[in-house]
Amino acid sequence: METNNITVGLPRAMLYYRYRILWGVFFQELGVKTVVSGPTDRDILEQGSALAIDEACLSLKIYLGHVHALLGQCDYILLPRVSNFGHHRNMCTRFEAMPDLTKNVFRDTQQKFLTCNIDVLAGEDEEDAFLSLGRQLGFGPKAAKRAYKLAKKADQAQHKARVQKQEELSRREGLKILLAGHSYVVEDPYIGKVVTDYLKAAGVTPLRADLVEREHALKRSRELSPTCKWEISREILGGIDLRKGQVDGIILIGAFPCGPDAMVNELITRRVRGVPILNLVLDSQTGTAGVETRLESFIDIIRLKEGML
Amino acid sequence: MEHAYLGVDVGSISTKGVIIDKENNILASQYIWTQGDPIGAVKELVGLLEAQFDRERYKVVATGTTGSARKLVGTILGATMVKNEITAHAVGTTTFYPDVRTILEIGGQDSKIILVENGVAVDYAMNTLCAAGTGAFLSSQAKRLGIEVEEIGDYALRSTHPTQIAARCTVFAESDLVHKIQMGHPREDIIAGVCNAVASNYLNNVGKGKKIVSPVVFQGGVSKNKGVVAAFERALGCKVIVDPNGHLMGALGVAILAKKGSKRQEFDFAVENMEFHTREASCGKCSNHCEIICVYRGDELIDAWGNRCERGERTR
Repeated sequence: METNNITVGLPRAMLYYRYRILWGVFFQELGVKTVVSGPTDRDILEQGSALAIDEACLSLKIYLGHVHALLGQCDYILLPRVSNFGHHRNMCTRFEAMPDLTKNVFRDTQQKFLTCNIDVLAGEDEEDAFLSLGRQLGFGPKAAKRAYKLAKKADQAQHKARVQKQEELSRREGLKILLAGHSYVVEDPYIGKVVTDYLKAAGVTPLRADLVEREHALKRSRELSPTCKWEISREILGGIDLRKGQVDGIILIGAFPCGPDAMVNELITRRVRGVPILNLVLDSQTGTAGVETRLESFIDIIRLKEGML
Repeated sequence: MEHAYLGVDVGSISTKGVIIDKENNILASQYIWTQGDPIGAVKELVGLLEAQFDRERYKVVATGTTGSARKLVGTILGATMVKNEITAHAVGTTTFYPDVRTILEIGGQDSKIILVENGVAVDYAMNTLCAAGTGAFLSSQAKRLGIEVEEIGDYALRSTHPTQIAARCTVFAESDLVHKIQMGHPREDIIAGVCNAVASNYLNNVGKGKKIVSPVVFQGGVSKNKGVVAAFERALGCKVIVDPNGHLMGALGVAILAKKGSKRQEFDFAVENMEFHTREASCGKCSNHCEIICVYRGDELIDAWGNRCERGERTR
């Protein structure tokens, strides 16, 4: 494979958790090197908080911290704009504003950014966005298209494998708890991953609402809300509807203050019946005591119900 | 020697302790203020319990701790069971009220609701990031109105026309309250309004979407306030039970859990005379800079926690 001297930085935050394979394979196939910021830690969060406005959600603060960590480490930092995938398939405004917002925050640096636009309602789909990324880096449509196709294939294979893994986990013996939240919250090592670690240490099998066959989940989300318009929330709703009968409890994990979650989690607690639900809102507190108390008591309540405590 | 079990509940405001026998009879009990010093409070508590306790006849074979300082106090007391306060309250209340269906609890800085079916907790909720309508709100409003927090209940019961106070949020409730004072509303009506605000705030936040079924047991420090009890009874349209030992329910629950647990470790009352101190250390092994709490008995490091990863494990 040919290599060139371009390096693209990928902030390990937000949509990275959804698109790491798609982005990674695409750039790799073009011979473009990528560099990923390190796992979220306190420095990254503090740096990001200092750069963001107060009202920004915790995830956006973390994102800006990751972008900051990549400054000067690469030729370009990837800042995709993802607006929608069609009617009733919108992303949160944060993702629509991502390139403008981030460029503005870092306007006084020399850093160059690489952007693309996914806005199906305006006639630009995912493939168009990747062709445009290729074009900006000096690759013709043929090379970019080939890289995109391979990347898409790898992405779909990986997602399928992860869904398959969930299927296996759902058939396991013992206590199972469904985690419902955005991948960039649930998987982030500094904020959400403590929940998964805690559950595993307590002998509970964590399942993921968002690791589902996506098209199916979108359709299924209609069961819980026929009007919800957020793509990722709809996948989670569909995942909850699919798994609610297989788990002993559901934990809604959100980062404060998340607009879509504020509505959707309220909807879930009202409409999903017959299974205990814990609504866990994560903020930038350094201690994990509050989270642990809530998790411990949630597991106890479920175990008490089974007469296991 | 008969076996006895110690339960200690160290909250942000008060520290509670009980010693029970095999049949859950209370052999000794005490309630004191934490005053920002959980270690000092628990040492004092142990001394007070010892004075009430027949050491010739009983020995304490298991110890449980609960409340927000459960881990720290568990280390100091050599606890055999360390449990969160929700589980402790659920176990304590269902032991004494096997028919209970709903447990309302309002403490100094948090509040919770536990729903029970057939003696088993099936669902619960806790206030999330907001401390609206907890004991801390009541005591600050009592101060503003120039009365003792203990007097609130009597004032509230004298009111015939409770003032409407915005209940959604403590900040709004407070500014609304100041406005009503300046408008000339009588003091007992305002106080009754505050009690109503606490009850409706609780039902709209923690109790939101929960089906509250009688018998209802109300506990936590705020349950001692007759005005809030009356407000709950009005709002729910049913009787609200307040146990005279309601403030001890967490301690009782964790004593029962310690009894049920498999670990046994005879409790040594000598801890009341030992020196304990804590030190906060910042772990420098990665950029998370975890705040690690080290607990010492005399000069000996007996436990440490607060690290997010194994790099911060204590080394003796």
